[in-house]
Amino acid sequence: MENMLTQTAARPLTNDNPLTATNQPVIQLRDIEKVYQTKTIETVALNRVNLTINKGEFVSIMGPSGCGKSTLLSIIGLLDEPTSGVIELDGRPVQSYSDKELAYLRNQKIGFVFQSYHLINDLSVLDNVELPLLYRSGVGGKERRERAYAALDKVGLSARTNHFPSQLSGGQRQRVAIARALAGRPEIILADEPTGNLDSVMGEEIMDLLLSLNQQEGTTIVMVTHDEQQAHKTQRLIRFFDGSQVS
Amino acid sequence: MIRHLFTLIWNRKRSNFLLMAEILLSFFVLFVVSVLLVSNYYNYRQPMGFSPDNVWEFDVDPGQDTTDRKATLRLLVQELQATPGVAAVTWTSSNTPFSFSNMNTDQFRYKDKKASLTEQYDADDDMVRVLNQKVVAGRWFDHRDDASTHHPVVINQKFAEDMFGGEAAVGKVLTNDKHDEQWQVVGVIEAYRSGNDFAANEPAIFNRRVLQDTARVGNNEQPILLVRVLPGSGAVLEQQLVRKIKQVTKGWDANVNTLEENRHDKMKFMLTPLIALGLVGLFLIINVALGLFGVLWYNINQRKSEIGLRRALGATSNGISRQFLGEMFVVTTLGVVGGLVLAMQFPLLGVFGFATPIYLTAMLLATILIFLLTAICAFQPSRIAAAIQPAVSLREE
Repeated sequence: MENMLTQTAARPLTNDNPLTATNQPVIQLRDIEKVYQTKTIETVALNRVNLTINKGEFVSIMGPSGCGKSTLLSIIGLLDEPTSGVIELDGRPVQSYSDKELAYLRNQKIGFVFQSYHLINDLSVLDNVELPLLYRSGVGGKERRERAYAALDKVGLSARTNHFPSQLSGGQRQRVAIARALAGRPEIILADEPTGNLDSVMGEEIMDLLLSLNQQEGTTIVMVTHDEQQAHKTQRLIRFFDGSQVS
Repeated sequence: MIRHLFTLIWNRKRSNFLLMAEILLSFFVLFVVSVLLVSNYYNYRQPMGFSPDNVWEFDVDPGQDTTDRKATLRLLVQELQATPGVAAVTWTSSNTPFSFSNMNTDQFRYKDKKASLTEQYDADDDMVRVLNQKVVAGRWFDHRDDASTHHPVVINQKFAEDMFGGEAAVGKVLTNDKHDEQWQVVGVIEAYRSGNDFAANEPAIFNRRVLQDTARVGNNEQPILLVRVLPGSGAVLEQQLVRKIKQVTKGWDANVNTLEENRHDKMKFMLTPLIALGLVGLFLIINVALGLFGVLWYNINQRKSEIGLRRALGATSNGISRQFLGEMFVVTTLGVVGGLVLAMQFPLLGVFGFATPIYLTAMLLATILIFLLTAICAFQPSRIAAAIQPAVSLREE
């Protein structure tokens, strides 16, 4: 933990305390709709969502289960396509992008942190963290290692590089997942309930880590959470209900 | 990426072990089947050493007639040779081409060297004309051998190479264990694979035995005649010859087959076990293929969230497909390497006694087949993996 990002104390969210946010939009959603259709049922997961997230912003999304938060995060992360509407990343609409171009954008621009960590159990901590760099051309084995070590150092896990996920606690696993997201040096981190599987102490630790990333590295973070207290530590809180943005 | 695949497979070695073992065993079975197929094909491509077309085999049965068979037989051969449409007639032992009869011996010695098991045939002076054997050194039997002090023999090249190496074979004298008999090589023929189309080119030796040789021909000889007829001869000539046999022999029975018919019958007989073996091999391959397919399908279902994660981290759908094919390729390579180590023991230990190139060809064939099999089995599951929606699979866990 000695090399962990400088812990940031929670600060009350006010409009005149924008932390690292700028007015440059990095993610823009316009009239996004997502409808899941089966033979008998049509479920509207997202209903005409309009959202702009600026560079360096830390946004939290809250809402009851099934309100479309994770669907929204999947769409922002280019893992899912909206039924209608426009998504822009850095001002460029991405709907017409090919599978290869979307994969490239995910790899270069976006880092993911999941509630259930999604680490590959058969790979060591170091190999897990290297994973996004494996899909990046021009990054050799040596550089991959160095960047993975650096990312693990940032989250205070440099002593656990050869461990396997099953040998780590929940908090440590989530820190590995954050290191994996950091290794690719993304502009945006999408975190889907990153503290959902952790106890309050571990949850605080992870939240502080994300805040530090936002403040020290200027990383844009969009976080889905059920935890009101943690949501209030972010710069902006967006509430969802039945697929629509309510605040 | 290759290092990553090896790391992944090494770390999953316990779950991959059975898959590798299955591939190793399948490779081994394919190798053994391939050895047999390749050796048969190799033999099939070798020269037969004679031409069976337009040759008819007459199995003559004297029945209860014991009166001077030799004289009757001499007369019969003369009469048949004189028949229009007949090119040549030979009187031979029962191990005619494509018959189910064979004679072999290991009695021959040259200096201190003992011959390996050698196929032995009786032949008269006309066999070479009937079977169109190709004499590559010396000559075939003729009247000059009547006064020979040693038994004259003709050998095939295989016997000559095995026994005399690079030395000229003609004129060499062979003996038996007790040195009480001697055979002199008068000629060498190219080959004589008379058993069937798939028979190996084994060492062969022809002993001269002519009907005039009263010392070597007994009265109870079973007369088997091979008759070369002119091309286009058919049933009319056949009936004419059978009539002539009955007429000359005063009632001996004669059974006629063409050597082509005998060849066809023998081919069917030889192909039956090969086809059975092939079917067993095919059945095994289908089972292995279904097993591999099932295991890969199961793996993909087990690894859906990993697939979703990899897509999220920047893998394309084709990249996922390539990864699964690549993993299968690595597992197959490891299984095949193990199989090759086992297979290498065959030529080293001379298990089937085939030439080394046959084993090497079989190894290559088995390797290609097993890679093809695993590629086919991995193709569909890897496409399924590629089609998995990352958002759905990430949510499933």
